[in-house]
Amino acid sequence: MAHAAQVGLQDATSPIMEELITFHDHALMIIFLISFLVLYALFLTLTTKLTNTNISDAQEMETVWTILPAIILVLIALPSLRILYMTDEVNDPSLTIKSIGHQWYWTYEYTDYGGLIFNSYMLPPLFLEPGDLRLLDVDNRVVLPIEAPIRMMITSQDVLHSWAVPTLGLKTDAIPGRLNQTTFTATRPGVYYGQCSEICGANHSFMPIVLELIPLKIFEMGPVFTL
Amino acid sequence: MLATRVFSLVGKRAISTSVCVRAHESVVKSEDFSLPAYMDRRDHPLPEVAHVKHLSASQKALKEKEKASWSSLSMDEKVESLCFLLHKCGFGEKWLNVAEEGAADLCACKWLSSLPPVYRIKFKESFAEMNRGSNEWKTVVGGAMFFIGFTALVIMWQKHYVYGPLPQSFDKEWVAKQTKRMLDMKVNPIQGLASKWDYEKNEWKK
Repeated sequence: MAHAAQVGLQDATSPIMEELITFHDHALMIIFLISFLVLYALFLTLTTKLTNTNISDAQEMETVWTILPAIILVLIALPSLRILYMTDEVNDPSLTIKSIGHQWYWTYEYTDYGGLIFNSYMLPPLFLEPGDLRLLDVDNRVVLPIEAPIRMMITSQDVLHSWAVPTLGLKTDAIPGRLNQTTFTATRPGVYYGQCSEICGANHSFMPIVLELIPLKIFEMGPVFTL
Repeated sequence: MLATRVFSLVGKRAISTSVCVRAHESVVKSEDFSLPAYMDRRDHPLPEVAHVKHLSASQKALKEKEKASWSSLSMDEKVESLCFLLHKCGFGEKWLNVAEEGAADLCACKWLSSLPPVYRIKFKESFAEMNRGSNEWKTVVGGAMFFIGFTALVIMWQKHYVYGPLPQSFDKEWVAKQTKRMLDMKVNPIQGLASKWDYEKNEWKK
């Protein structure tokens, strides 16, 4: 989860997110370089004493400032496409969970090996204990094993929602009448938070997502959550 | 008419400068914008028309004298004669050492520090005069700071009279327990919060 006033990305909990952080650093550096160059040129334009207004025909300069941006764009596009295809790799998930968005809570279905279905509501402020995370903690978390590819099937029962967990690099829209799929592999155990990311009504900000990632051995022991 | 007088008080850039310039003109009136106009511009050194269109008697006499051979002019008259000056003080050419303050023009002529009548017939302002800075920035910065200060007062009023209390999760004890819980969960252990905590010594890393 993010700490208060956090501006940067959260630390990665999946290999894809690690790639995305590296790509973000790369693209941001290019952005800073271009912005700095433009600001410098603007500063020079505003403080010059030169007054020649008859400059024309600068073919060499125009060639450079056409080719160079094209090269920069290619340098951004190549890593971007690489990560895009990486997210679609076939990875043979061990487990499939269904996540259904409602106004204003999530329903999770574990139907691979039996039938476990439960709702996940945000804890109302009056139900919070000191130390709980206001607007983030839920009554029932999604418990999952680490280091195993997991497939999420995401849909909605009423309006558009979006199932997002930033630290895993996940955000998938929950669309009524449509099944969207996303996969991930978590590398570290822990509790990871996300929030609904598509405006869905009055309590759009109050339907968070909480994943509890635990070692596979403990997960295999059977029911690890109470209903 | 009154509006033009008011505009003449305003600085160079605040409102349409053509209105301000017209307020100052006492000699040349540009009735029609399709006629060649006089302008004091750094990037337009030689305007299409002279500043003064209708010469007085003494100005006419000076012009006649200028037409004759320049060697017949006295030193003072040479100074007064603009043609002579422009010939001698070409762009970048220095006639004398750098002059008194305020005379850093195209030509660093000591004589031009008090510009002669002939110059004033052709031009309204010298380059030094047209490029001069102003104190407008003090007004702008002062005004901006004033309004920022006023906004601060508005925000203080809002906090007192409009906003409700903060949620309990902002209490110091709650934040302390919450932070402890986040450290136990090892939130962002690579570069974020938990990476700044020393788990052996049970304190923040130095």
